Amino acid sequence: MESRPLFIPVILGTVRKGRMSAHAARVMHDEVAKRQGVETELIDIAKLPLPTDDDGQTTKDPNFAAKMDRADALVIVSPEYNHGYSGLLKHVLDSCLKEYVHKAVGIAGVSAGPFGGTRGIQDLLPVMRELGLVTIFWDVNFSNVYNSFDRDGELRDESTLPFIDQFLKELIWMAKTLRHGRESVPLE
Amino acid sequence: MVSEGKMVCPKCGSEMNFHGEKLTLSSPGDSGYNRSQGGVLQEFHSCPNCGAGASRIDYRGL
Repeated sequence: MESRPLFIPVILGTVRKGRMSAHAARVMHDEVAKRQGVETELIDIAKLPLPTDDDGQTTKDPNFAAKMDRADALVIVSPEYNHGYSGLLKHVLDSCLKEYVHKAVGIAGVSAGPFGGTRGIQDLLPVMRELGLVTIFWDVNFSNVYNSFDRDGELRDESTLPFIDQFLKELIWMAKTLRHGRESVPLE
Repeated sequence: MVSEGKMVCPKCGSEMNFHGEKLTLSSPGDSGYNRSQGGVLQEFHSCPNCGAGASRIDYRGL
């Protein structure tokens, strides 16, 4: 039935040097890549142009917009900074709109503390809705991140893997369902 | 109901499916500004053939 593979990129939502979220994003990317019928790509916002001399969609990067247009769902890896998410992640997300509408999104939070970025995730949810994205009800939480990964960035705490599995199962289901809806179910 | 009939996919030329609309903030005088709604109403379309997305301004009610 489905001929085109799903495209589910993973967005690394911070530009800070020494960011532990890069390890979390790589894990998420590798897990998405294992799924049959799914293509993925790791999008590092640190590698995107981030102009601050204009607003919203006027700062759109054509390559990023093309990837969002192609995407059926997004995985956003977001560290929690002072109980919020990265301002530059918001800056990048705000550069598109039509590319997101009625597509699925799941969020993986990252924090040094025990709550795995939950407060940053909560703050992101209303933003996702306003962008037209459809959130799933599973999150991934990388807590105590300085202990969860070793010096080489390998995941030490494998208790996270079953949560990633549940997260991706739901995200892929939502991505398939919303693709069908976007392409075949008209808004009356 | 879609404003101007079926939108044609800019990538493959197929008829697209209208699946959503959203009011985006704008100023009086902007193209497509809808006075009664206070912004520009955008329609969102997806292509059942290639999956491409596209949008256009809904000019109804202007």
